[in-house]
Amino acid sequence: MNDILPALFHMLVFPGGLFAVAAGLLLKGLDRRVEARLQRRVGPPLLQPVFDLIKLAGKETLIPATANRAAFLTAPLIGFTGMAVCAALIPVSGAYSGLAGMGDMLVLFYLLPLPAIALMVGGSASSSPFGALGFSREMCLMLAYEIPLLAVLLAVAMRVGAAVGGGAELSLSAVAAHQIAHGQFIADPVMWPAFIAYLLFLPGTMGVPPFDVPEAETEIIEGPLLEYSGPALGFFHLTSALKSVVVLGLGVAMFFPAPVPGGAFVNVLWFLCKCAGLMLVSLTVVKSATGRFRVDQAFTFYLRYPAPLALASLILVWQGA
Amino acid sequence: MKKLIATLSARSPWLYRINAGSCNGCDVELLTTACIPRYDVERLGCKYCGSPRHADIVLITGPLTARVKDKVLRVWDEIPEPKVTVAVGICPVSGGVFRGGYSIEGPLDKYLPIDINVPGCPPRPQAIIEGVIKARDVWRARIGG
Repeated sequence: MNDILPALFHMLVFPGGLFAVAAGLLLKGLDRRVEARLQRRVGPPLLQPVFDLIKLAGKETLIPATANRAAFLTAPLIGFTGMAVCAALIPVSGAYSGLAGMGDMLVLFYLLPLPAIALMVGGSASSSPFGALGFSREMCLMLAYEIPLLAVLLAVAMRVGAAVGGGAELSLSAVAAHQIAHGQFIADPVMWPAFIAYLLFLPGTMGVPPFDVPEAETEIIEGPLLEYSGPALGFFHLTSALKSVVVLGLGVAMFFPAPVPGGAFVNVLWFLCKCAGLMLVSLTVVKSATGRFRVDQAFTFYLRYPAPLALASLILVWQGA
Repeated sequence: MKKLIATLSARSPWLYRINAGSCNGCDVELLTTACIPRYDVERLGCKYCGSPRHADIVLITGPLTARVKDKVLRVWDEIPEPKVTVAVGICPVSGGVFRGGYSIEGPLDKYLPIDINVPGCPPRPQAIIEGVIKARDVWRARIGG
């Protein structure tokens, strides 16, 4: 019982749940604003994602007559809960060390595809042909970007494992703690290919251009999201906001987790700044400068560049460089 | 409280376009001009969405030809309430240059409740943006602000 209460607090309030939702929405707002500025527009206010959610909460939820009702309505919740749990596993250096002792990198690897799976379930349950097209595209893209992710996670785990005495260190808090004590991986040439691979993985998993293939609104009119409206659609947006905190926070924890002197509050702000920096480099700039790949181009891109880069790091680590 | 929610909701009007047999003049004004940096409607929280189910404000262009009438009415029905309908250009109001044509079923307000008219052939982008702002006010009043 004594373990469950703090764990619940971490999942529902900080850093999962409330905190992650607020941080995710802020990051999304910043993303849209900076993208607009890069295109020399004024852009929406910083709190635009919050307005969108309030609006969606008040709209009607329409369910297509031919849809599978149960699957159609539970799909958004699957992704949301998965990401809320994930957010509790991300260590915020100097303020929160992650839910220790849970082998969290493996758990993260298994939970991270949940939003994509929720999209696929929702899309196919909506009985729309565009949903089915989105399903196959999402599936294809997911198979491609999971490979570099796995290699990056393994490279990081084995780099830390080799330093602490063999094997792989699969606890994210231990990975962060090791880097704080022995220098961050972003300054480690052996890990640079893995870092670049992770930067390339981010736009794919977040579904932003040039990898917005499954939701391409000009080709397959938002694919799996096509039939969603009102609060159910809002849940997909919330999931996406949470997921951005999770994948950016994971990147921060794996490559540059060092805290700054000062209290927990300062370090939470510092963590958010680092997430925002990572987002601007890997998502915002990329998406405002590119068009969209075809699904086969996106697939081969992931196998051709990020996967070998991540494997290069993995092999270097394995050879003990 | 209800007023606050209405005010905040009205800051996120998502736009959807229906072409009811338009000559594409108004569509070009909508799609290109109202989207380019110079006129940026995203500063009002607007977003063009691909699915009618995501829309709040629907912009209809064209004189409503016989061929598209059923489809337009069906797509309009798929937009979740509360919604606001804006007729862009003079065609939906009067038929414009197509008035009296054998294939014209318009005017549009025989079939749909039109909230805002944006006149012009085609209307200037500034006029379209003003129409969107007026539609937003109608929408806010409708959800209780």
